Amino acid sequence: MAKIIKIASTTTPRNANPFRTSRSVATNPFKYSNFEGNTLQFADVFEGFEPKNISKLKMIAASVTGTMNKIKSGFEPIVNFVNRVRGGISSAWDYAKNTSVTDLPGMRTFSRVMNTPVTDLPGIKTINRVMNTPIEINLLSGITDSLSGIKTGISGRISSINDNVTTFGKELSDKWTALVSKIQGSRISSDLTVNELEELWKKEIELEVGGAV
Amino acid sequence: MNRNVLEIIDALSAHEDNESIRVLEELGTNSPDNEVREYTSRALVRKNVHDSLKVVIINQGKGINDLSPSVAMSTINEILALKDKEEVIKILDDTISMHSDESVKENARSVKSLLSLS
Repeated sequence: MAKIIKIASTTTPRNANPFRTSRSVATNPFKYSNFEGNTLQFADVFEGFEPKNISKLKMIAASVTGTMNKIKSGFEPIVNFVNRVRGGISSAWDYAKNTSVTDLPGMRTFSRVMNTPVTDLPGIKTINRVMNTPIEINLLSGITDSLSGIKTGISGRISSINDNVTTFGKELSDKWTALVSKIQGSRISSDLTVNELEELWKKEIELEVGGAV
Repeated sequence: MNRNVLEIIDALSAHEDNESIRVLEELGTNSPDNEVREYTSRALVRKNVHDSLKVVIINQGKGINDLSPSVAMSTINEILALKDKEEVIKILDDTISMHSDESVKENARSVKSLLSLS
């Protein structure tokens, strides 16, 4: 039995199964591809396939050319835009040159307003009527009363202020007198005359009486 | 009492003319404040002149005749403290002999007795 298996293994083609791959034995994956039952050999399929020796200078030149093409394609919309603007300006100039001023939009309305008399403008009649209306006596009387009230109010305020100023002045005078007396009191001596001492004493009495009141 | 008034009284007591005595009598001895009257009476005594001593001895309600016992006693003490008592004794004698008010005479007599005992 063992001999039979061994003979079979030797007679059977070694790679009969086309899907059977082995990393150790199969190196070309296209070697076993079946094109209508024909097996293509490696040398037939990749005939003449060899890496070409391209110079680096050519590669750089090709790259620059491609870049320039891209830039050119980017400029094209700008050029078109400029051309359109130029065309628009030209059209506007032609329109302005060939159109009369009187035909401009809004000129007819403007001309109509300018030719209308001022007295006919809307609102002028109302203003004219108000300006020509005589001022009534009652209005003058009301203004007179208002002025009289303002005068009375101002007079009252001034009187109140006057009273306040008077009171303030009296208080200020008393405090000033007290201050002067205090300063003078600090240098009371027999060098002063009797009359001066008498006046100082009287002021002290007045301050005491005023303070007591 | 007001310090300014005290200084004024001291300054007036330092003056020797009769005008200062008049001011002390008018403003000091007539003051409603007992302290002012007391201090003024003592100042008049310290002057130790006829006109000043006469104010505190012969006038009713002033000096030794003041209604305030403190003012009267302070004036008497100041008289007793005088070194030269000649003028004050002379005035006391004249008051005892010639004054019309009996209470003034009695006060003058009492002060003279105190002077004789001192």
